[in-house]
Amino acid sequence: MASPLLELSELRQYFGGVHALDGVSLSIETGQVFGLIGPNGAGKTTLVNVLTGHARGGSGLVRIAGTDVAGKPPHLVASAGVARTFQGVRLYHELSAIANIIAGMHRQRMHDIGRELFAPLGRVRRARTARHAQALGLLELVGLPDEVADRPAATLAYGQQRRVEIARALALQPRLLILDEPTAGMNPLEKREIGRLLSRLSEGGLTILLIEHDMPLVMSVCSRVAVLDFGRKIADGEPQAVARDQKVLDAYLGTETSCGSASEDDTTQAEGATSSTAAAITTGARPATSQTRPGRGLRASDLHVHYGAVHAVRSVSLAVDEGEIVTLIGANGAGKSTLLATLSGVLRPSSGAATFDGLDLTRAKPARIVAHGIAHVPEGRQILGRLTVRENLELGGYTRGGSRRLAADITRLEERFPILAERRSMPAMTLSGGEQQVLAIARALIARPRLLLLDEPSLGLAPILAESVFGLIAELHRSGLTILLVEQNAHRALSLAQRGYVVETGRIAFSGSAVELQANPEVERAYLGSDPRL
Amino acid sequence: MGFFIQLLTDPVGFYNAHELLVAQCGVNALLAISIWLTLYAGQLALATAGFMAVGAYTSVLLAIHQHTSLVAGTVSGCALAAVIAALIGLPVLRLRGVFLAIATIGFGEALRFGVILNWPLTGEGQGLTNLGANPTGGILPVWISVAALAYLGWRITRTRLGQAWAAIREDELAAAASAIDVRAHKLVAFVLSAVIAAYAGALDAHLNFFVDPTEYGFDRTVQVLVFAVLGGIGSVAGPIVGAVALTALPEAARWASDYRDVLYGAILMVVVVFRPQGLIARRRQTRRPDGLWPRLRSRLGLAATRAQ
Repeated sequence: MASPLLELSELRQYFGGVHALDGVSLSIETGQVFGLIGPNGAGKTTLVNVLTGHARGGSGLVRIAGTDVAGKPPHLVASAGVARTFQGVRLYHELSAIANIIAGMHRQRMHDIGRELFAPLGRVRRARTARHAQALGLLELVGLPDEVADRPAATLAYGQQRRVEIARALALQPRLLILDEPTAGMNPLEKREIGRLLSRLSEGGLTILLIEHDMPLVMSVCSRVAVLDFGRKIADGEPQAVARDQKVLDAYLGTETSCGSASEDDTTQAEGATSSTAAAITTGARPATSQTRPGRGLRASDLHVHYGAVHAVRSVSLAVDEGEIVTLIGANGAGKSTLLATLSGVLRPSSGAATFDGLDLTRAKPARIVAHGIAHVPEGRQILGRLTVRENLELGGYTRGGSRRLAADITRLEERFPILAERRSMPAMTLSGGEQQVLAIARALIARPRLLLLDEPSLGLAPILAESVFGLIAELHRSGLTILLVEQNAHRALSLAQRGYVVETGRIAFSGSAVELQANPEVERAYLGSDPRL
Repeated sequence: MGFFIQLLTDPVGFYNAHELLVAQCGVNALLAISIWLTLYAGQLALATAGFMAVGAYTSVLLAIHQHTSLVAGTVSGCALAAVIAALIGLPVLRLRGVFLAIATIGFGEALRFGVILNWPLTGEGQGLTNLGANPTGGILPVWISVAALAYLGWRITRTRLGQAWAAIREDELAAAASAIDVRAHKLVAFVLSAVIAAYAGALDAHLNFFVDPTEYGFDRTVQVLVFAVLGGIGSVAGPIVGAVALTALPEAARWASDYRDVLYGAILMVVVVFRPQGLIARRRQTRRPDGLWPRLRSRLGLAATRAQ
């Protein structure tokens, strides 16, 4: 057998006493699609960072096609043919999508600056045109239309940004492509497209290391899977065998919700033990009922929001009654996040009205809106990385004052999510991606909001943790909190919600009760794809 | 008003009356190109005046003591600046944002207070008298240099090197993942910027009979920075337009000359709030950060590094 394309041996990395990686070895053969799974904080991203040279101070052996690259700076590892994407998406925000991809061609471009500077303009233009065409080809390969090519990366929807990032990585012409949760924040249809893209790339001979929480995707595209837990490898083998491994089931998949598919009746398991927590946190003096009080709550009518030249939200009207839980579903780029940001005062609508219990949300400053009882958990966490976990939580209670009850609330949340207690005095940026998501939700709850705007709370969460978060949402609702939920896992969202709105290119395409929407074949077709379990 | 009327109706007479101003605009345009280069690569390096002094003093000292030609003096000044930039660049460019700014300000001030004002050879606080100066003969070389550097600056933004700088400016970690050697590229930008500043300094010194150490203080660097930010750092045209406009302004409006620095400060604030991309740039579609300081920070590449 030929030597493996990537060989990792005894990889170790410590962060301030935490064993992020505790002696992990694995090897990836040329042409393989290798899945790396595990709970949040297991060390998956750290493994990638050590391997690509983005994390310093690790130890162990990293061989690419037999050449040792351990401890080499990231650009040399990339030069050896290793391309990667980042869990949090790192695009060049002010550059256009196409310029992002072209910047990724650095390795394959002419190295002679003198010839480039003084070449005749005609030749330069031809070379640019060729690169442009190549970049457009990559854009098409990852499933994006030409129209997004010239838009600044920052204005693209999250799912589109992820694809641009994959295209930029492919522009390196890598032998090994590392994808860190490429489908986080994507709906089932888009996930399936990414799955097809990975299969196509793999058929073209590319070797792929895939970190992913979506088990159906992992099972369908990976030829081998390794599982990390607490910085150690607990399983490594054929996908089917790994999925049956008892250790893996315990640590990661959970027993009931195997393979992360949305079964409709599993809310109960996470709830029972902790429902008192949510009640105690959210309601204060209010009785814990899930009774809705029509007429009070969130009202929006004929909202229009522009993002530069992009008309992101078009004539949206919606209502969330007090005590209700309502979900917004729709493809990436449909305008859901823009809508939430408008309701929390972060963005201003160009026209239309929005009120919450008498407060005009189109005029009030964000701080006023928070004080009025709306908490927004934005997509992509936005925690304060250099402050400690505890400080992040305390800041969530900034509008409340009164330290004793605040401390009691923090204690309750720490009981609900033990990781918050374990990492209490560590900088929040040392938390893994999924742990940061938990912190972001907890921070919003500390403000004791009356209306919670949740933007993709399950993004980047391992199946067990995602279930725990959905369980928490159900509890919060039962304890009287009004919730507007944006979620890519539409089936799960509709099973939690009472009503839903389907958003399509900035408009509300359908609305109705959750049951109606789940039964409506139009919704299935427009958004979910025919087989929701994929 | 008379300033503009003469400019439009009698350009030859205008030129004869304002030769020194035209030359000064050119020198400032060169300095603005120098600082633009580092800003384009995402570094707020504030040693422009320091490198300008290196070029000025080296060329004038060589002319006084060795009777070298202007060309030889200028080349020597640029070469010395390149060496110094490479030496301090290696450790200093590890820093980012505001820390890099502080370190490079430190270099400029150390050079001025530590060397120029203390060394008998550089005339200490007295400066140097340059009898070989040619106040008007320099205009053509200065503006030919501006044109040449503007052309090269435009071309370089389309090369592999220039596009790597843009990538580094936007996100160093992502750039490294695309096989871009971040440190080497930053060092190249820093050294080229230093060479251009020294070149401008050498030309400037030969337009004046007197090399004045007070010309090379931190406030000079800030002026140059305002030129670049006013014009916009998206392309090389911005800093040149900014430099010419702000250099001519005190001449065009006499009342303004007494309040030059105040005026520059006010213009900087207005630009950052209302046109953060500068005068010469297409409007961006990205959402601008709210508030004066966040906008200034994002313009200057000081935005807090995102956690991974």
